[in-house]
Amino acid sequence: MIRAAGLGVEIDGTRILEAVDVELPQRRIAVIGANGSGKSTFARTLNGLVLPTEGSVEVAGIDVARERRRARDAVGFLFSNPDAQILMPTPSEDLALSLKAAGVPRSERTDRALEELERFGLATHAEQPAYSLSGGQKQLLALAAVLVRAPRVLVADEPTTLLDLGNARRIGDLLLGSDIEQTVLVTHDLDLASRCDIALRFDDGRLTDLGEPRDVIDAYVAEFA
Amino acid sequence: MIPLYRAGASVLHRSPTGAKLIVLAVVAVVCSLYPHTALTALIVLGLTLGVFLIGGLGPVAWLLQLWQAKWIIAFLAVSQAVFLGPVAALTGTVRVVSVLLLAAAVTMTTRTSDMIDAIERALRPFRRIGADPARVAFTASLTIAVIPVIGALAAQIREAQRARGVRLGVRWIAVLLVNALRHADDVGDALTARGIV
Repeated sequence: MIRAAGLGVEIDGTRILEAVDVELPQRRIAVIGANGSGKSTFARTLNGLVLPTEGSVEVAGIDVARERRRARDAVGFLFSNPDAQILMPTPSEDLALSLKAAGVPRSERTDRALEELERFGLATHAEQPAYSLSGGQKQLLALAAVLVRAPRVLVADEPTTLLDLGNARRIGDLLLGSDIEQTVLVTHDLDLASRCDIALRFDDGRLTDLGEPRDVIDAYVAEFA
Repeated sequence: MIPLYRAGASVLHRSPTGAKLIVLAVVAVVCSLYPHTALTALIVLGLTLGVFLIGGLGPVAWLLQLWQAKWIIAFLAVSQAVFLGPVAALTGTVRVVSVLLLAAAVTMTTRTSDMIDAIERALRPFRRIGADPARVAFTASLTIAVIPVIGALAAQIREAQRARGVRLGVRWIAVLLVNALRHADDVGDALTARGIV
């Protein structure tokens, strides 16, 4: 369950998010809205990357502001640019780093990393320089590095923005098909959003619409017709 | 260019990282002191080729590393040839280049994660004076991982200049710095989100 109560965020005197009250028990949650609408900030409050200046946010029963470490363990975060998320020179070492952070013993890390890379179709690239992977492969690696820690909730901030159609579809399928308790997708890809269980729309830092994805998307698109 | 690990099963691949680094340090000192004639310089250069062969990296990788060090070689050889003569230029250049080649052989046969663990172990005694070995070692590996990204940022600026038909001159360094700092912000968020810090 994701719960925001009077959630507000102000950064350097600018109000980014205002009075968000919402309870989300759904498994797959889409967040849509224009650039600068506050949707990414909302996503970042879910694992403590941004802390509320007003109100509170609770994810998987954890008050994110009060228990940031627990929140980060429980909430995985996928960024739109995988170059920023990949922190080690090779895919196998990058996954091993996630496993180290999760407390997996050193002797098990290499095998576990290879298993995970196999699952994502990256086993043949395990020892290649990560920077030489394609954009789609990098995003797959970034996703694998998040999922290998078995988070209870996954938040993805525009995960398909930099990808071609095929890779965007593949990443979308993996995100929506995972067996994670809850997945939050911040996206401009309205087809992807329509496959979720609920959609939220943000405008000027406020939550302005919430409901069946098709209805929320149609109302959003109608404004630009 | 810092070479990356190449998977393999050679003696060098299987050797403990700490031992490899100690041997590298000893051999590097020998290579820095021993060359004093053209013949001894060539022997040392041959020794580095031998290390590449033992590591299963092959002569092509050795030549490639020499090629990547071409500007260092040119600078050292020319400046020393002018002031000290050809033999001193050869021995002086080989002293430096042999150490670079040996370091390349170690990084090409050692996983970065093993290197981090070795650095972490080596720094443990410094905990007493407040050092954080894990953080120092991770910073070193992150630096290696980020080098190609900074290279890509520089390439983007060059392409943007060409596409727009403008030349920034030395100001491109400021643009690169701004982009690199933005990337550093993103990496900071990723470190937090991935539970590394």
